[in-house]
Amino acid sequence: MAGKSGATPTTYSPSPTTQNKKRPPIFNDVDWVRSDARGFQQCRPAFLRTGAVNAASGSAYAEFGNTKVIVSVFGPRESKKAMMYSDVGRLNCNVSYTTFATPVRGQGSDNKEFSSILHKALEGAIILDSFPKTTVDVFALVLESGGSDLPVVISCASLALADAGIMMYDLVASVSVSCLGKNLVIDPISEEERYQDGSVMISCMPSRNEVTQLTVTGEWSTPKIHEAMELCLDACSKLGKIMRSCLKEATSALQE
Amino acid sequence: MKMGSANASSDLSSEVEVDAFRRLFPLRFHERHLLESIRPDARPLGKARDTTLALGAVASADGSALAKIGCTTMLAAIKMEIMTPTTESPDEGCIAIDFHMPPICSPIVRPGRPAEAAPVVSKQLSDTISSSGMINLKELSLVNGKAAWMAYLDIYCLDADGALFDAALLSAVAAFSHLQIPVVSLNDDGRIVVFSEENGGKLENEPVNKEKRKLKLSRIPFSLTCILHKNYILADPTAEEESIMETLVTVVLDSSFQLVSLYKPGGPVLAYTSAVQDCLALTRQRVKELQKILNEAISDMEVD
Repeated sequence: MAGKSGATPTTYSPSPTTQNKKRPPIFNDVDWVRSDARGFQQCRPAFLRTGAVNAASGSAYAEFGNTKVIVSVFGPRESKKAMMYSDVGRLNCNVSYTTFATPVRGQGSDNKEFSSILHKALEGAIILDSFPKTTVDVFALVLESGGSDLPVVISCASLALADAGIMMYDLVASVSVSCLGKNLVIDPISEEERYQDGSVMISCMPSRNEVTQLTVTGEWSTPKIHEAMELCLDACSKLGKIMRSCLKEATSALQE
Repeated sequence: MKMGSANASSDLSSEVEVDAFRRLFPLRFHERHLLESIRPDARPLGKARDTTLALGAVASADGSALAKIGCTTMLAAIKMEIMTPTTESPDEGCIAIDFHMPPICSPIVRPGRPAEAAPVVSKQLSDTISSSGMINLKELSLVNGKAAWMAYLDIYCLDADGALFDAALLSAVAAFSHLQIPVVSLNDDGRIVVFSEENGGKLENEPVNKEKRKLKLSRIPFSLTCILHKNYILADPTAEEESIMETLVTVVLDSSFQLVSLYKPGGPVLAYTSAVQDCLALTRQRVKELQKILNEAISDMEVD
């Protein structure tokens, strides 16, 4: 009963697998309705809260539709023994999924690729000189994956860093846009991501107008990519405002 | 350190002194409180922390629950999959329980270096749930000898602040109360698939479990962990208390107050039978509270 793969018989999920299905023709039309009835350029409503995990130095919970993540920040604390001396602080990031995050039960293992992207997205925003010789750990757990997981993790992580009192130049807000046929859809859900032709993700510091990270995949034409970047940057600045007000609410609640 | 003479007005230096005293002499700090029959978080010794329960927290799972005892938070979710039953018990399904402590939950857990406590709690949970007889594994059977349910129960600790087993068990039983088994049918290839009105309308693919959407839970187990320290018994310890005073006793009773299990994994304090009986009495009290909390969570869900 220990849930180890060796001891338990092989099982399968009764739900039909959607992995190999062809893209529904609807996505090729100019006009279609998104399954959550949003406009193409409309983000999902964001729910953000700081202080989700008491054991951490700082933490945040983010919920964008069905995408739910928790990020905890620990430190600044002693670096690993094997680490060389460094007069600037270190940032260590890790992203993992729960076994029930995806429709088909997963292994709940670390996501190495996301961990490294998260690191790169945050690195430029943190004032690493402010904690020499030590390490700040940023750990993210995706409770439920509903699409645009990585941008949600990045935004949530910057909120958790602020909650932990780590010095930053600005918050980092992150948004992605998918290209589906002739349309650009912002903040895509899992189904839209699965059938996308290309995607752009931008992480930026909204008040400084600086981009910390830009990821482009798939096939894009120059005018389309310009349009997508404009969309992302615009959404980032709006998200940045929501994140800021979340932090303000938390501190004013503390003072009362 | 003059704790007693601390000024009534919030004098910053005395506050710092108390905090320093707590860090430097944690045992003495706690014992000073115990002398006054109170704990640093203002609880009496025998009282558990505020407990909340929310069912159906995970949309992608078949059953789920979020349990909070004080700051300790557990998220449990069940995913149902199909297995071929063993030849020894062709009419029984199976339950696989896994307890996870992801690095977000505590400063002592690091990625790639799993917490020592996790496999211990995992085993304790499996043993408790199977030996309490809460779930009749025959109810998980679908087609005799051919197919049965495998219930994967995964419990994630989101915030670790002591009494991990108690919170994990509460979230586990709550997730089973919330579990809604999907309606499935046997397709032409002999595989079990989710039954849907649109494409499964053919007569030969009748659902095989129309009646059995909910598990009948009998004798639900509930637990309380206590710290034994000198002559004191502290119910529902925090992580700080657990790290300072090391003798733990966990009592598991079922809903009719029958003893399911009693763990006392060593520790420097050797318990007298009277102390064990006191722990049992505290647990009996606690089981009543937890039953009420679970029933309220279930009826809240039915209203929605």
